Amino acid sequence: MTVIPLKAYIILSVIIFGLGLFGMIVRRNLVTVLMSMELALNAVNIALIGADAHLGLADGQIFALFIIALAAVEAAVGLGIIVAIFRLRRVESTDEIMDMRG
Amino acid sequence: MIQWLAFLLFSLLAVISALGVVILPNPVYVILSLLSSLIAIAGIFFVAGAELVGAIQLLIYAVAVTVFYVFVLTAVPWEKALKKDSHYRVEGALSFPLLLLMYFEILVVFSLGVSASPKGQIRELSKKFGNTEVIGSILFSKYFLVFELVSLVLLIGMIGAVIIGRKEAQTYDSDTP
Repeated sequence: MTVIPLKAYIILSVIIFGLGLFGMIVRRNLVTVLMSMELALNAVNIALIGADAHLGLADGQIFALFIIALAAVEAAVGLGIIVAIFRLRRVESTDEIMDMRG
Repeated sequence: MIQWLAFLLFSLLAVISALGVVILPNPVYVILSLLSSLIAIAGIFFVAGAELVGAIQLLIYAVAVTVFYVFVLTAVPWEKALKKDSHYRVEGALSFPLLLLMYFEILVVFSLGVSASPKGQIRELSKKFGNTEVIGSILFSKYFLVFELVSLVLLIGMIGAVIIGRKEAQTYDSDTP
């Protein structure tokens, strides 16, 4: 279980987290912004699981389970907000949302 | 050795798919790329010996959440996104050096040296009972309150999604500038 060092997990986690963060910045469509956020959350999960396998604990896996549950909630509420914005304003891009009235 | 091989394979797949999530213009391709990345990350969890989290990753993320994204993408017309530019080019070019700076910072931190001593309190227990039983016993003893709070958050999220997503009587097309 400890063949792969902790550094490998953390390097992979940082690479994927950076890509998710970059996607959140540069993406124009709202749905793809949320998908980049899912990628960043999964990168955090990789770091937790890797630290867990290195330390021989089980707490990180429980944190990863909580993160997965909260990511499901976040996807539900976020996509509901996107559908509501589209239904009210007919926009689906981040630069078209001009105001928050309504 | 076989663990290293599997880890490298899955991490390569995950990184390439993550690049696809960031780069590809079509949202449907982005969803497929995200699905591939999630499956590769589940493979990394299996390599790390976390079978329960890997299985839940496959079940919840790779099935439920991705199908949910596909449903929402059918509700929002994604063909409109193809006509416009799919990325912010200027913002991307400005923030890409910051991303490289973050990677460089991690390299500096690793060259300075980071260490965590393996305590291994659970390791004998995990060998004796198996990973899933250990997670269940810790989850329902040490983190029981947090578990209940997560169930409450799930309930609140469900109610909020229903309230946000219900059909409004009128739309506000007229007063948008």
